[in-house]
Amino acid sequence: MGLSGRELPTLPAGGGHASFFTTRLDALINWSRLNSLWPMPFGTACCAIEMMAAAASKYDTARFGMERQAFSPRQADVLICAGRVPYKMAPVLRRIWDQMPQPKWCVSMGACASSGGVFDVYSMVQGIDTIIPVDVYVPGCPPRPEGLIYGLLMIQEKIRGESITRADFHRAEDPARTGRPNLSPEVIEEVTVPFGNSTRQNRVSGMVPSHALLRPRDRKP
Amino acid sequence: MADKDLNEGLRDLESGPRTSETAGEGPRGEAADAASHPTVAAMRAKFGDAVRHHTVVAGDEHVVYIAPERVRDILGWLKDDPAQDYAFLMDVTAVDYGGGRPLEVVYQMWSLTHKRQLRLKATLPLSALEIDSAVPLYNSANWLEREVYDLFGIRFRGHPDLRRIMMPENYAEGHPLRKDFPLRGRFSRAEQTRRAMEMELEDYYIPTELATAGMRATGEHASADAAGPSTPGGMRRPNDPDNWALGTEGGAEGGASSPEGVE
Repeated sequence: MGLSGRELPTLPAGGGHASFFTTRLDALINWSRLNSLWPMPFGTACCAIEMMAAAASKYDTARFGMERQAFSPRQADVLICAGRVPYKMAPVLRRIWDQMPQPKWCVSMGACASSGGVFDVYSMVQGIDTIIPVDVYVPGCPPRPEGLIYGLLMIQEKIRGESITRADFHRAEDPARTGRPNLSPEVIEEVTVPFGNSTRQNRVSGMVPSHALLRPRDRKP
Repeated sequence: MADKDLNEGLRDLESGPRTSETAGEGPRGEAADAASHPTVAAMRAKFGDAVRHHTVVAGDEHVVYIAPERVRDILGWLKDDPAQDYAFLMDVTAVDYGGGRPLEVVYQMWSLTHKRQLRLKATLPLSALEIDSAVPLYNSANWLEREVYDLFGIRFRGHPDLRRIMMPENYAEGHPLRKDFPLRGRFSRAEQTRRAMEMELEDYYIPTELATAGMRATGEHASADAAGPSTPGGMRRPNDPDNWALGTEGGAEGGASSPEGVE
C-alpha cells in the first residue's frame, strides 16, 4: 500500500459518515491489514534477543500474521525498535522510518527505546519518540516475548479501530518532515528532563487506553 | 516536583566535578624492586631517568611510569630488542583521575616469546595533552589512539589519521570520558537531537571511502555547511586543537543551549 500523501482518495476531514458500506469496508480492510503485519526489526541491544525469541517457534509471532520479518524497510508495516539508540544512530532510524511505505506503525520496545532508560547520558536518544512517531510503548528491561506480543496485539487493536471515513486513515506523513526530528525543540526539552520521557509519553503519542477495563475487546490470554 | 527544582538539584550532575586546588599528582604506588621484572631492570639500565617509577599492582602486574617524551624510544626498544621482544601492543588507553590531575596514557604490552607482560604509563598534564604516536611501531595502535583522542582529547603526534572514531564527526561538545565532562553533555537535548539529525555522509565516511563509492567530494560541502547560520559557533568540524580546556565554566550552564559558551 505504498500510496503517497498527495494522491490519497480520502474523504474530507470530518465530512465522512459511517454507513453500512463503509463500516463493512473498514472491517475488510482492517482485517486484512492487522492480520498481515510485517515487522521491521530494528534491534540494537538486549531487547533484540527477546524480540528474536518472540519471533522464534516457542512464542511465534507468525501466529498473528507476522510470518515474515521484513529486513527491508520497503516491505515492512511495523517498525520494532528494540534497544537503546545513540544519537549517532538517530538519523539511521529516521531514514528507515521514512523508507517504510504507509500505512506504518511503530513499537518502541523496552525502557531504553521508550525513554532512554538508565542511559540518561550524553550519547543516548531520550526516547525514540523524539525522532519518529511511536504507536505503542512496551515497558520492560527487556520485556519478555509475551510483552512484545501484547504490544503487537495492541497495534492490531489500534488498526481495528480505524476507519476510511477518518482523515488519518492512510496515516500519511508530511513529506516535508522527512529526516526531521519528530518533536519540536521545546517539546524535546520538556520530555527529556531526568525521568521526563517515562512520565510524559501520553502527551507525546496521544492517549492510548491501556487499562483492561477500557479495553473490553482485547483478546484474553 | 517542578522541573525547576529538579534541574537545580541536578546542577552538579550537569556541570561535572570541579577542579580541586589540592589535587595530588604524579605516580602512585609503592616502588617495586626493579629486579622483579627483567624488562624493568634492563629498561632502567638503558633509559635511566626516563623510567620514573615502577610499581606492582594486583599481585604480579608491573606498571612502569615513563617520561612521555621518550615513549617512542622505549616502545621501539621494547619491540626490537630481542631480549624483550614485546611484539604485541594489546591496548592503548588513558585514565583521568579528575581534580585537575594529569591524564595517564596506558600502554599494555605482551611479549609472546618470553610470555611476559608489562604496562607502561605516561602522565600528561592537562595543559599539554600531546604525545608521540605508536602507530609507526605498532599498527594496532591506530584505532586505539583514535579512541583515546576521541574520548580524552589527547593528541598523538605522527598519527596518520587522527579523527574521532566513536562520536560522530560533527560532535562538538568535547571529549566525553574526561572527568570534567558533564554527564548529559554540554548541549541541550534539543540541540543534540538537531545535530544528530543533520549528520551527513561525511560524518560517517572518510573522503576516500566516499570517492571510492562515487559520492561527491567532501571539501566544498563541509565548508558550505560550516558557514550555515544555525550551527552554534559556526563549528562543524571539532577536530581542531582542543576547544574544551579544563575549567571552561561557560559551556556547561545547566545543559542549556548556549552557543556563547561554545568557543
